[in-house]
Amino acid sequence: MNEILISIRRTPYQSLATFLVLFMTLFLSAVLIVAYAFSHSLLDYVETRPQVTAYFQTNMTEEEIVKVKDQLIASGKVASVKYISKDEAFNIYKESNKNNPLLLEMVSADILPPSLEVFAKKPTFLPEIAEFFKKQPGIDEVNFQKDIVDRLLNLTNVLRQIGIIFFCFLILMTIIVLTTNTLFKISLKKDEIELLRLLGASRFYIEKPFLLEGTFLGVCASFFAFLILSGILFYFNPFLSSYLKGINELNLMIFNLKLSIWPLNEIFLGIVLGLVTLFGIVIAICSNLLAANKYLK
Amino acid sequence: MIVFEKVTKKYPLGNFALQETSFELADNDFAFLVGPSGAGKTTILRLILREYLPTSGSIMVNDFDITDKKFVQVEELRRRIGFVFQDFKVLPEKNVFENIAISLKISNISQHKIKDEVVAALELVGLKHKSRVFPIQLSAGELQRVAIARAIVGSRDIILADEPTGNLDPKTSWEIMKIFKKLENKRTIVIATHNIDIVNSLKRRVISLKEGKIIKDNRKGGYDL
Repeated sequence: MNEILISIRRTPYQSLATFLVLFMTLFLSAVLIVAYAFSHSLLDYVETRPQVTAYFQTNMTEEEIVKVKDQLIASGKVASVKYISKDEAFNIYKESNKNNPLLLEMVSADILPPSLEVFAKKPTFLPEIAEFFKKQPGIDEVNFQKDIVDRLLNLTNVLRQIGIIFFCFLILMTIIVLTTNTLFKISLKKDEIELLRLLGASRFYIEKPFLLEGTFLGVCASFFAFLILSGILFYFNPFLSSYLKGINELNLMIFNLKLSIWPLNEIFLGIVLGLVTLFGIVIAICSNLLAANKYLK
Repeated sequence: MIVFEKVTKKYPLGNFALQETSFELADNDFAFLVGPSGAGKTTILRLILREYLPTSGSIMVNDFDITDKKFVQVEELRRRIGFVFQDFKVLPEKNVFENIAISLKISNISQHKIKDEVVAALELVGLKHKSRVFPIQLSAGELQRVAIARAIVGSRDIILADEPTGNLDPKTSWEIMKIFKKLENKRTIVIATHNIDIVNSLKRRVISLKEGKIIKDNRKGGYDL
């Protein structure tokens, strides 16, 4: 640790440049990770809502509706279909309006239409499912969330594409700057490295101080990047709360593990910190190895 | 044991540093390499350290053919060799103790053992009282003692010295040679030098070189070119 600090003190401007470049890269990476997690979890959330709801005319019998349901299942495009009878619809209505007795008095089960709530296997099947319903007899109304899902799909795709391009550019820029800085530092230690080689030091022994310094700066930069990002997230927390009003929680499925994204929690932030730190360490080590290998070749 | 067999070293520009040079140094031998500048003295030392590879011929060091392309234990070889440079190559930002310890640290030796070995080496070169002093506070003679101490610690059984007295006054040069004499019969010592007085006075083996060729190899020789 002492040697790392001495090395930083000896080349303060190079160390500062390395730190700032790493900080910027890691901060933007953290922003991308959070934005991607939010958009993806929002998409997942919307996809868990009934995507197509077909309301039937009140005179339709349960058998007729079940027949439509079976046809739909046979198409292979739906993940699940739920039949909501008039009575169930009334119960849902009662539950959602339990604080409004006037509304409850005015409505009875007879006037509520039976419906089918459909979850598609893929969002791209939604228009076809909606079209299928419209062709059926006894259909009163078809609602589906195509616009929202399409917009979210677009958003996540754009985020993914921009993220990849941006990420590649950031990595390239960071590696070039860090490698150049390390080469400069190595040239300052040229005599020491030459002596170590003649004394029989291994390549790793010579590279180790540069790797440790890179790791140290990577960890520091990732912590700072995380602190700033956390500050921004908590500052905008009230705004996010009102924007996501009605959404109690957002989750992301990672290898069958449910990760809670919203409300903001320690586990999600901890994972962001872990990813950013790991990325910072890897990028700093790679750059230093590249520079050391170039010099020691 | 060091064995040179018909070693030729030709530099890229075509000039020969060594031509078909052969000699043998037994374990714990003490030899001077003498000759005018460009005779090939430093080239021999650098070849033993495997800093250079010969153009042709073979070099055996401690039963290893270090000219073999399959020889990969260069680091291990160098850990068995101590090198004393004319310009000392003492690191200015490290104190005397650290400068010597660096020679042991590279071998992952325990801190306790490093301390013992460095103290013993400092005692041998007469610098025990200056272990915490930085190079800038030392005289040229003291710096060369630090370099010698660094070259003898650890399991270094071959000491190569390239003009170790080149930058020193006669009195200090003799003090440095006394240290080498203390190491005699404990390690193989090869000293490349121009110092006529020292070579003539010590009466040790002298390998005389001229234009990359050995012209004399006397067991108890003097500086005679």
